Amino acid sequence: MASLIACPHCGPRPKEEFTVKGDAAIARPAADAGEDAWYAYVYLRDNPRGRHKEYWHHTSGCRRWLVVERDTLTHVVYSVSDASTQGGTA
Amino acid sequence: MVDFALLHRSALAGAKTGSFGAVSTGSRIALTALPEGHVLHVLAAHGSGALQSLVAQIGDGGPYAVRAYGPGQWFVVGDAALSAADLSGKAALLASRASIADQSHGRVRIAISGASVEAVLAKGTAVDLDQASFTIGHSAMTLIGHISALITRTGTDSFEVMVLRGFAESLWDDLIQMSLEFGVDASTAD
Repeated sequence: MASLIACPHCGPRPKEEFTVKGDAAIARPAADAGEDAWYAYVYLRDNPRGRHKEYWHHTSGCRRWLVVERDTLTHVVYSVSDASTQGGTA
Repeated sequence: MVDFALLHRSALAGAKTGSFGAVSTGSRIALTALPEGHVLHVLAAHGSGALQSLVAQIGDGGPYAVRAYGPGQWFVVGDAALSAADLSGKAALLASRASIADQSHGRVRIAISGASVEAVLAKGTAVDLDQASFTIGHSAMTLIGHISALITRTGTDSFEVMVLRGFAESLWDDLIQMSLEFGVDASTAD
């Protein structure tokens, strides 16, 4: 796993300071989308080999949610951004 | 009628004190428990813009009273205890652009200094502590070992570490352990 994450607020920090939440690419279905869509949204996850987007929480730092785009094969981190669309103070 | 009188006891009252480790004199580390005055957690309201100068107004005027924590969040610290009236006076200054959560009971400050202080703290954190990037007055929330702490540089050879009260004694023991090779003098002043 990538060992240094460049937090946009704190700078490069070791992965031990973060908590990984999981896939950031899945979209929440509409409220009436049906059982299958909701089952997939809640339970089903891919296990990608390669480029992957995830939510990471900087638990022991600024406590912001980040979106980390990384490669599960090469450990390269492509981008790290604040999960809020504003990107500034929430 | 109260069955037990509440007694305020400082978090590090029972922590170990004295001199430990190497008997060197040149680069000894000094560890000091700071007064449990006030620690205010200031949180910006949504869309409140730049608040740095506003937050500075609720500090006690000390040089490192305001410590950046994360986006829109600060800790305002000082040695003097605050009354409820003091606190509501400070909240009024922020004019609803930010809120104050009183953490005076919840977080403890420890001063650590000495010529080798960077080497000591570097054993616990991955943050670059070199003065070129971690300037005097700069703060960083990070892990020291497994304990989350806010590190603030207060001088070329001095830092303050702020930690959750329940972890204070554990971190205190860790800091002594990390300082043994240089020799350390620990005092809680109580």
